[in-house]
Amino acid sequence: MTAGSPAVGRALGAPDGSSRRRLHSMLDTVVRAPSTHTIARTPFTRRSLTELGFVVVSSFFAGIGMAFVAGLMALGVALAVTFIGLSALALGIRGARGFARLHRNLARGLLDEIIPEPDAFVARGGFLGWLQSALRDRVGWRAAAYIALKVPMSVAYVFFGFSLWWDAFACLVNPWVHDFNGTPAVFGVMRTVFTPGYLSLGSSGFPLYLGVELTGVALVFLAPWVVHLLVSVDKMLMRSLLGPDPVSLRVRTLEHQRTHTLDASAATLRRIERDLHDGTQAQLVALAMRLGLVKAKLDSGEALEVEELRTLVDEAHRGAKEAIVELRDLARGIHPPALDTGLEAALATLAARSTVPTDLSFTLFDRPTPAIEAIAYFCVAELLANVAQHASASRASIRCARNGDWLRLVVRDDGVGGAQLTRLGSTSSGLAGLVDRVRSVDGHLDIASPPHGPTVVTVDLPMHA
Amino acid sequence: MSTVAPIRVAIAEDSAVLRDGLVQLLVDRGFEVTDAVADPESLTSAVARFCPDVAVVDIRMPPTFTDEGLRAAIRLREDHEGLGVLVFSQYIETRYAAQLLAHDATGVGYLLKDRVADVADFVDAIRRVACGGTALDPEVVRQLLGASKKGDSLSGLTPREREVLALMAEGRSNTAIAQALVVSDGAVEKHVANIFAKLDLPVSQSSHRRVLAVLRYLES
Repeated sequence: MTAGSPAVGRALGAPDGSSRRRLHSMLDTVVRAPSTHTIARTPFTRRSLTELGFVVVSSFFAGIGMAFVAGLMALGVALAVTFIGLSALALGIRGARGFARLHRNLARGLLDEIIPEPDAFVARGGFLGWLQSALRDRVGWRAAAYIALKVPMSVAYVFFGFSLWWDAFACLVNPWVHDFNGTPAVFGVMRTVFTPGYLSLGSSGFPLYLGVELTGVALVFLAPWVVHLLVSVDKMLMRSLLGPDPVSLRVRTLEHQRTHTLDASAATLRRIERDLHDGTQAQLVALAMRLGLVKAKLDSGEALEVEELRTLVDEAHRGAKEAIVELRDLARGIHPPALDTGLEAALATLAARSTVPTDLSFTLFDRPTPAIEAIAYFCVAELLANVAQHASASRASIRCARNGDWLRLVVRDDGVGGAQLTRLGSTSSGLAGLVDRVRSVDGHLDIASPPHGPTVVTVDLPMHA
Repeated sequence: MSTVAPIRVAIAEDSAVLRDGLVQLLVDRGFEVTDAVADPESLTSAVARFCPDVAVVDIRMPPTFTDEGLRAAIRLREDHEGLGVLVFSQYIETRYAAQLLAHDATGVGYLLKDRVADVADFVDAIRRVACGGTALDPEVVRQLLGASKKGDSLSGLTPREREVLALMAEGRSNTAIAQALVVSDGAVEKHVANIFAKLDLPVSQSSHRRVLAVLRYLES
């Protein structure tokens, strides 16, 4: 991407990478070595405080949730052969949804982590219907899985997260409350260090207390990072188990895409109808009218003026030929016959037909689906037309290659540059339509065109759609 | 051509090739084309300026390419008494016919664009509309007959009577119907009388009143 165009490129339907970016940034904060400044500040940030709060509150609810869900499920399994057993199981799953909502709210309130609501529970009529719907509720089962995983999570919270803070507090406070006597009331991980540890072996007095105090200071700076790491793991669990069901999410995405595709094809049909109506049909009507006039003159029995008739027939003849050309162009716009022999041949034809000398580099060894081939073809046709019209280029090149599961098309020219979607769009409604077509299969189109060139347009299309 | 003053026509058609063709055809057939324009606004001002006898209007024109021609035609009829309006389009929509004929059927025409190929019929239709008559496309009439809820009473007509009814609904005079069916005027008059009796319609000699009666009957 070159200066001046990133906004354009982004706007052209780049896929939503925000979730992936979020994951990366999260891992970055955990994994990357933080700067001294960050280390010094971290214990006193709001994040550390709210995460500690989350650790405490969510562990508390994790216990209750597990007791409730596991209790009902155990009952359900024990009495599985009876309706009571199944009802208990169903109730457990329904309850799991409730706890899931609680955890989502905690995450939003304390961690600013927004986990999308899954679809609401929809029960079929009657008790049996309800039972069946509840037992088949994927969202409920996933919530139950989260509640089960939350138990080891909470143990880790208490023994590695909360306890470090507690130890830090204990270490810092202990020497003062115990008047430099006795041992600090440590707990959790530190307990295993302190009780049999070297610090308690025979040492006493000031060195011991200095050691304890320094340990406390160190723990203050360590604890928030451990908590943060644990909470990050929990967030991942919540995102994958408490959000919308991936299956229904996929269905929703597909529905959205289908609507988009239907809209795009309706727009295409409308364009074809418009072309037929305004172009070919009008040509043919005018042609029929001229022939009708000739016929009327021939029928009238008046003295025929050959020159006049010749003019009319000439015009009719020209109109018929124009109609043929228009029809051919229109048909080619619907399905390019060149594509029948494959994308490479079709692109080679386009390159050869272009008024600007154009090189083709084609390194695609398996064929994409026909829809993708057609989109790729129209992209290249439109882009080459734009090069010929606007770029004042002396050379152009087409590169078509595979890029993972994607087909990457790069059309480059050495022209004047400065191409923008709006300018290209205003001169040819084709390019705007092209962006729609590319989007309809979740592809994207980037334009890099600095002033004075060169212009590089990159189109990424999925191989199969 | 005749010595009487030529019929003055304004044309509104956005396709240049067709517009030029129409001008050529009408001039050749002895009409005077006052103006040939490409959009409804220009037509409105052209009619106000030159006061033509009849306006030939394409239904689908810019800016939205839906029915602005029709709306312009209806407005023109309201604003200019005695102006004949002939709308034409690539498709027939009975709804448009109903809108056009909503108030009266004098000086109204609605034709498929294809009809311009039959020069004599087309020219005849413009003449009828210019003189306050009616010219409905056979396709409009066919759709009206087909969509009519009065199918039962129509089935009481003989095939010949149905032909006569269709031509009558197009706006043709008895003489024209007689020519089209290659029968005598008297025979047509007899058929018309039978039709009006069978359909229980008020008898009328004025051809556009007959059209209206038939259309009202079919629509009701």
